[in-house]
Amino acid sequence: MPLEAPLAPVIERVADLNARYKHHSATAVLEHALADPMVGSIAMVSSFGAESVALLHMLSVMDRSTPVLFLDTEMLFEETLIYQREVADKLGLHNVRVIRPDRDQMFARDNSGNLHRSDPDACCVLRKTEPLQKALDGFDGWITGRKRFQGKNRTTLEFFEDEDGKRIKVNPLVHWTPQDVSDYITNNRLPRHPLVAGGYPSIGCAPCTSRVAPGEDARAGRWRGAEKEECGIHFVNGKMVRGNETEVSDANVVVSDDGFGGDDWTGGFAPLSEPQTADVGLDLPSDTMPENLSGQLDDVTLIRVDFPSFADGRGFTIARQLRLMGYKGRLRARGHVIADQYAMARRSGFDEVEISADLAARQPQDQWRARANWQTHDYQSRLRGVI
Amino acid sequence: MYNYDSFDVEFIRERCAQFRAQVERRIDGSLTEDEFKPLRLMNGLYLQLHAYMLRVTIPYGTLNSGKMRQLAMIADKWDKGYGHFTTRQNIQYNWPELRDVPDMLDALAEVDMHAIQSSGNTVRNVTADHFAGAAADEIEDPRPVAELLRQWSTDHPEFQFLPRKFKIAVTGSPNDRAVTRAHDIGLLMATRDGEPGFEVIVGGGLGRTPMVGQTLCEFLPKADLLPYVEAIVSAYNLLGRRDNKYKARIKITLHETGLDELREVVDERFAAIRATYTGADQLRLREIEQQFAPPALSTKAIEPFETAKRYDPIFRAWSDTNLAEHFNPDYAIVTVSLKKHGETPGDASSDQMRLLADLAEKYGHDELRISHEQNVILPHVHKGDLPVVHAALKKLGLATANVGLISDIIACPGMDYCALATARSIPVAQQIATRFDQLKLEHEIGPLKIKISGCINACGHHHVGHIGILGLDRAGVENYQITLGGDGTEDTVIGTRAGPGFAYDAIVPAIERLIMAYLEIRADAQETFLQTYRRLGADPFKAALYPTQDKADAA
Ligand code: HEM
Ligand code: SF4
Ligand code: SF4
Repeated sequence: MPLEAPLAPVIERVADLNARYKHHSATAVLEHALADPMVGSIAMVSSFGAESVALLHMLSVMDRSTPVLFLDTEMLFEETLIYQREVADKLGLHNVRVIRPDRDQMFARDNSGNLHRSDPDACCVLRKTEPLQKALDGFDGWITGRKRFQGKNRTTLEFFEDEDGKRIKVNPLVHWTPQDVSDYITNNRLPRHPLVAGGYPSIGCAPCTSRVAPGEDARAGRWRGAEKEECGIHFVNGKMVRGNETEVSDANVVVSDDGFGGDDWTGGFAPLSEPQTADVGLDLPSDTMPENLSGQLDDVTLIRVDFPSFADGRGFTIARQLRLMGYKGRLRARGHVIADQYAMARRSGFDEVEISADLAARQPQDQWRARANWQTHDYQSRLRGVI
Repeated sequence: MYNYDSFDVEFIRERCAQFRAQVERRIDGSLTEDEFKPLRLMNGLYLQLHAYMLRVTIPYGTLNSGKMRQLAMIADKWDKGYGHFTTRQNIQYNWPELRDVPDMLDALAEVDMHAIQSSGNTVRNVTADHFAGAAADEIEDPRPVAELLRQWSTDHPEFQFLPRKFKIAVTGSPNDRAVTRAHDIGLLMATRDGEPGFEVIVGGGLGRTPMVGQTLCEFLPKADLLPYVEAIVSAYNLLGRRDNKYKARIKITLHETGLDELREVVDERFAAIRATYTGADQLRLREIEQQFAPPALSTKAIEPFETAKRYDPIFRAWSDTNLAEHFNPDYAIVTVSLKKHGETPGDASSDQMRLLADLAEKYGHDELRISHEQNVILPHVHKGDLPVVHAALKKLGLATANVGLISDIIACPGMDYCALATARSIPVAQQIATRFDQLKLEHEIGPLKIKISGCINACGHHHVGHIGILGLDRAGVENYQITLGGDGTEDTVIGTRAGPGFAYDAIVPAIERLIMAYLEIRADAQETFLQTYRRLGADPFKAALYPTQDKADAA
């Protein structure tokens, strides 16, 4: 019976795959990554940088139609753009997709093109992470050319990695040394990136890449002078390296039975660890056990319960428990709550829901108002004799 | 039979309209696939690689002829003319188109049915003893309570996004036919000092970590049911793990938190929640109970039954296996086997469904049940009508006399349909059934439950089969592990692994050796396989399964 057949969680598949392919070569890992149902649909992500051609060649031998995502940050060297077309032609890769940052976002966030100076993390998020994440949507995994020798965060890389439970990242070349790459390129007579000869062993965006002196770490030329090591496409300990997140929350929308409104609460919010006053809202994380709050809520006038994901329904029970404990103040759900959950939130005891501007744009007011009738057709009220 | 009142009707109508809108919003992009998924699952709609599957709940397994005919109509109109009855008292349609699903839900609503909460991380369809209201051994009909729970759990605002799915089963009989100890909550109806109530079991489950439920409350007064169940699910919603879906069921929460601590949290919540129930639920229950009043049974001669039994060996064989004791000795409970030798267990064509509807209407006080063993039941048939019923069933291949026997196998879809499968299960079931039919040993062997799963998710309940078969993948080759001595009744036992697994072409011969050994060593023809196993232990069976190894040991 064709039931829902989700693949096992990424973390388990990754462990499984790593165990299975432990002693395999780069080519075997790549070959399996392209075919193994445990990996799913897959794309290669390539910078067409100094070493990229080795892996691209390997791929072209196995399956030329594999999607290859090339991220044009619009800060690349002219040489890279030319080299990209040359390599794709020569290897017959006919499914190269050029990914570019979103026009409107660029306009809003880096109009001057100087963000890389003031905040390289934010720049990478805008020009790399976001476009790439969008491009990778719909793929179950992606192939990268990262190698252990490349730097501090990469020394423990495995063939298969769990990207935050979302996707599998495949690194067929993890065990390769610079010599291996160089040998492979020479033996297969592959074209080199023109800048390598000019002293750039690792090539990224023009403003953030500098020459490396002989003897220096190859990636030392990337973001020289900054503490930055990873561009934000990749993840450190499963967390994406990204910019300041709270910036957008000013634009959050507060939904009530009347529809969308701005936030009339001006006192700000503080976690439980800080002293509670009536002027400051209390922020509760989704793993709160309400029992532990008894006696601490007397002075609180607004509680905001976090919904990290709409699939995490703990907040509903937290709200209900707070009400049962006698909390009568304002109660707000905040985060990823969708319009279809509005009635659930209200019935559980929330007064309102705070959502991001993005979500409000995607699910406009009408979709929330459709459930403003949350008091009707409610089995709970019926069984409790409320109606 | 519960008939919707105006509240239920309006609720379902609104819900169908909501789902129709959700489908549109998915198509226009307001909902991401991620966000749409739990919403469609909440309405019973699964998506596999290329096809949708709609799973329709049959609350506590009870149907009437009108509902059954509508299920047949849906199978004809939107599917390929058949439906698949599952072990959870659901029916699944395998080939609907997304755009048709809102219409299918409307068609279900016309006969007081729905697909709500047949999947997703929420409280699922409440299951009950399939002989409820008819069995001779029943203390009380569990279905009114199951219906009350259905209403309580439907659209429960707190519990639509639990850590994992949540299954409740109720039985009103000391002979547990609802496998209550293998559910997240099992309710055993009981009385104490004349007062009705329940023993409450939590944390049972099969799947990859099979566990037998434990008693959370020895005796819960009937009126406390909803607040107590609510307290359990509320505690689970916060304590249950969300980091690993294989550790998210309440059985793991129970295991990690401990029974006493879980009870403490539940009791504390119960105290607060109890006060919000002021008795309206009990009035509701009273109203529901009236709708489950026993049918007006007739008194007439049972001679035709005796005669047919005497002169028709085929009828006799069928009546020996497929009838169960009714509370009225002139009546019988008929189990119609959906396990014809060589067919897919649980499948029924629309013609078969219509025939069953006709028979129920004419001879069965308009009642039908779906059992968790994937058979259909006519719970109230007068014995005098049995020969006619049997003859009618025979015409459409529904008179297989194998209920409770070796070929009455529960098998999950396995590799033939299921993307998670590591091995085939339906062909194994078909081959076992065909083999023992050839050997003409089925009736000689007597009661025996074989259950087959195609992977460790254990949809085929292999853990509680007298003989369980689990299909695995060993380095790309199918390999079948045998477990022995499992039991899904009131004394739930998880079967024990017999030893190394068998290849695909060796599994049926292995089962045959096992059965031959049983026939040889049983005390007498009355001693069942399970009894023999309990008396003698696993050794003689292992010796039969692994003969060469045994010789090697002896040498
Ligand atoms: C065809 C594809 C199917 C898939 C992919 C599937 C998937 C699963 C999974 C992953 C579980 C484990 C859930 C957990 O432990 O949390 C499960 C459990 C279960 N499935 Fe299925 N299933 C399928 C078909 C069926 C069918 C046809 C039936 C009924 C005949 C069924 C009945 C069950 C039951 C009763 C359980 C519960 C075991 C328990 O809760 O302990 N499944 N299924
Ligand atoms: S590498 Fe530099 S220019 Fe390129 S996106 Fe990152 S910060 Fe901006
Ligand atoms: S037991 Fe495994 S193979 Fe069988 S239906 Fe369930 S998930 Fe599929």
